[in-house]
Amino acid sequence: MIAGLLREWRLLAGPARLGLIVLAALASVAVALGLADVAATRADIARVVALEARETQSIAAFAKGDAGEFGYYRNYPVWRAPGDLAFLAPTRGDAVPAVMRIRILALEGQINDNEAANPELLLAGRFDFAFVTLYLAPLLLIALLHDLWSGEREAGRLAALDSLPRARQRLWSPRAVLRAGGVALALLVPLAVGGLVEGTAPLRLGAAAALVLASLGFWMIVTLVVARVQAASATQAAVLAGLWFAITLVVPAAAHLAINAAVPLPNAAAIARENREEVHAGWDRPKADTMARFVALYPAYRAQAATGTAFEWKWYFAFQQLGDAAVAADSAARDAGIAYREAWAQRLGWLLPPVKVAQAMQTLAGSDVGADLRFKARTRGFHRAVREYHYPFLFGGRPMTDAAVAGAPTFSTAVM
Amino acid sequence: MRRVRAISAAQLRLLLRSRLAVVALVLLAMLSGIAAITGATQASRMAADRETAQTAANTEFANQPDRHPHRMVHYGTYALRPLGALAAFDPGVDAFAGSLIYLEGHRQNATTLGAARESSGLIRFGQLTPAFVLRVLVPLLLVFVGFAMIVAERQAGLFTLQLTHGANAGELIAGKALALAAVAGVAALPALAALAWAAAQSPAEAGIAALMAVAALLWLGLWVLGITLVSARARSAQSALMALVLAWAVLVVLVPRAAAGVAALAHPLPTKAETDLIIHQELRALGDSHNPNDPHFAAFKAGLLKKYGVSRVEDLPFNYRGALSAEGERLTSQLFARHAADTAAVQMQQHRLLALVGVISPAIGFAQASMAGAATDLASHLAFLDAAEAHRYRLIQSLNGLHTYQVRGADDAARNKDPIAERQSRISARFWADQKPFHHDGPTMADRMAGMLPGLAAMLLWAGLLSWQLVRTGRQEQP
Repeated sequence: MIAGLLREWRLLAGPARLGLIVLAALASVAVALGLADVAATRADIARVVALEARETQSIAAFAKGDAGEFGYYRNYPVWRAPGDLAFLAPTRGDAVPAVMRIRILALEGQINDNEAANPELLLAGRFDFAFVTLYLAPLLLIALLHDLWSGEREAGRLAALDSLPRARQRLWSPRAVLRAGGVALALLVPLAVGGLVEGTAPLRLGAAAALVLASLGFWMIVTLVVARVQAASATQAAVLAGLWFAITLVVPAAAHLAINAAVPLPNAAAIARENREEVHAGWDRPKADTMARFVALYPAYRAQAATGTAFEWKWYFAFQQLGDAAVAADSAARDAGIAYREAWAQRLGWLLPPVKVAQAMQTLAGSDVGADLRFKARTRGFHRAVREYHYPFLFGGRPMTDAAVAGAPTFSTAVM
Repeated sequence: MRRVRAISAAQLRLLLRSRLAVVALVLLAMLSGIAAITGATQASRMAADRETAQTAANTEFANQPDRHPHRMVHYGTYALRPLGALAAFDPGVDAFAGSLIYLEGHRQNATTLGAARESSGLIRFGQLTPAFVLRVLVPLLLVFVGFAMIVAERQAGLFTLQLTHGANAGELIAGKALALAAVAGVAALPALAALAWAAAQSPAEAGIAALMAVAALLWLGLWVLGITLVSARARSAQSALMALVLAWAVLVVLVPRAAAGVAALAHPLPTKAETDLIIHQELRALGDSHNPNDPHFAAFKAGLLKKYGVSRVEDLPFNYRGALSAEGERLTSQLFARHAADTAAVQMQQHRLLALVGVISPAIGFAQASMAGAATDLASHLAFLDAAEAHRYRLIQSLNGLHTYQVRGADDAARNKDPIAERQSRISARFWADQKPFHHDGPTMADRMAGMLPGLAAMLLWAGLLSWQLVRTGRQEQP
């Protein structure tokens, strides 16, 4: 077998060797770009957290312990820290921010904020390891394997080669294994280097490698099935390129259209307006009504809910919260709708293995729709934790001491 | 010329006999049909949704009851990015750019919404739109249909046979190219029909739609020339196919993504959160409204007192609190404008880098030209952000003006404690209805056409190069 592989490497034509080298180079560049992206995202998060800490100090200078002033002006950073496989399909520059600032005012008007990203770059799609694995590697594999038999037939050697004893073990298997193995190595070596740099958990790195091999395995089987058919090599190449094209470009794009048409979402602009109406109606409603509705949500503050005629922060934050409560069901239905769309996309993945590999890779990288939704859910939980941290100060009229300011939950410590 | 037509007619007959080619054409026509119909229905639904939402926001603002004007500063309003008729053909960046902005005092909010945040992960595989069909699918179909047209005949010895029968190579090549161009025309038809239909919805845009059709035909023309050239030069049909599929994968799939990655790295954008925090820092240096001894606001107050020859703000002929709000808004908005311009400048640098790569890979040039024409490009999005911020500033300052001149200072000062003062500090609801609602027409026709020029130029350059090579090949090819 080893001798067969060595022979096949010597026989490999110049363009094929070049193809393998170019693929390895592209995969390496993709991993390097991914690592740079991940590092930049971590730096973005760290800078915002540091700047926010300074901002909080400046607020302390004028808030002078007033919990209402803190509640109004203080922002809390929330973020999506890239995981140890984020470099496979990084999210820097996505519409969903990697780091945001949240106040204890109504969350609905904050949680859907987009990053100030360049939409033209997002439209182009990412050049990342997932892209190289799912789009480019199969094309090279097809180019290397489609004429395994027809190439020899067209050169007039097929009958002679096939008549060799144990031709399959001695010739065709080493040839197919060498070519597919070359493609696999071109991907796996950069992946392993990326994993080492990031200190990826071995099991997770193994899962990523398994996805690479699953994608290549799928395309190898498809290619060899087509290559076995008696046809001109050019026809085989055309059929395989057509299949690749249908599976990686056309069907997913068409399915995206169908899923979005089949699963409508509640109108987001209407939810945003309704939230605003609820919040601002608070200014005009009798204060006692607002406080009674708030106390129904937070009975613990019943004894402290009475208000006078003057402006009071506890009343202000009570109607902020009532604004969120008014649209909570619609907002949750919207997130559920997005999750439902993604569930359909995942189902499609079981029919199209390359799509499933793409989805699984995004999941490992933490850049899938599920991760977006989980970030949103975590942010909601954190918002609640921070609000509830402020309420005793707001309702009890206690000053927010320096220790209390420092003791507020942070996104990394909050239990959700 | 007669002979060229005869050759191309013969080639077309040959093509129609190939089952693979016909099946591919029919499939493509179906896909284009789906893309055209869903594109048109989706775009018109989205455009209508946004119009409805804009009207609802305007109406809600106009219908607010008697209030203190500063309450309206916080109530704010919404701006929605309008979607033009040609977005049915090419929605461009629409899915990735937020379409809604909440406009309020003291803050410049991020955009929200956008199809990319409400779709499954499949959106990353690309969107099936008429423009996508023309940019990505039709070229590959042309490759499959045309890769063998000359090289296969040469391999079979037919090419030489035809030459010895008096045909000249130039005419043969031109005939084949013409046949492939006919296929390209047929393949492009459904997508171009979508464009025509979109233009019919908005006759004022017919001119720019025609230019977009020219861009699309130019793009496909490049492929006709390129495929003919490779088929004439290749040693075997298989190598012609390999070379063309490789070229397609590199030019259409790989380079646009790689260029976007490079652009993001070469011109990094700060996060919105960081920009906001830096604005807060700079604001404190400029004038801290929370600090009673702030030099900027102290000077502002002293200037007003001096101008009106009074010693207390209570004696000013207007409400000082309103004037203070207006001054505060002026300061913050200056910073918002500067940082928004910085962000836009970085994004335009990224855009120009892509345009530069478009010289190497005309797929980028075609995409940019098409989006610019449809008013769904980056520049259109930035123009919307500018218009929204301009509207926000105008509206808030107008409300601050009402605060200054319509609310008595004494009532304003006592409104938090005295119910009568509170009632008197509310001004008539008719003021809200008088505010001009948000309206944005999008970029002008001239801007859109200018936005198309770099892409068109890049494609023309390629067309020139390929034609020249093709003519040279025709001359070298003698029996």
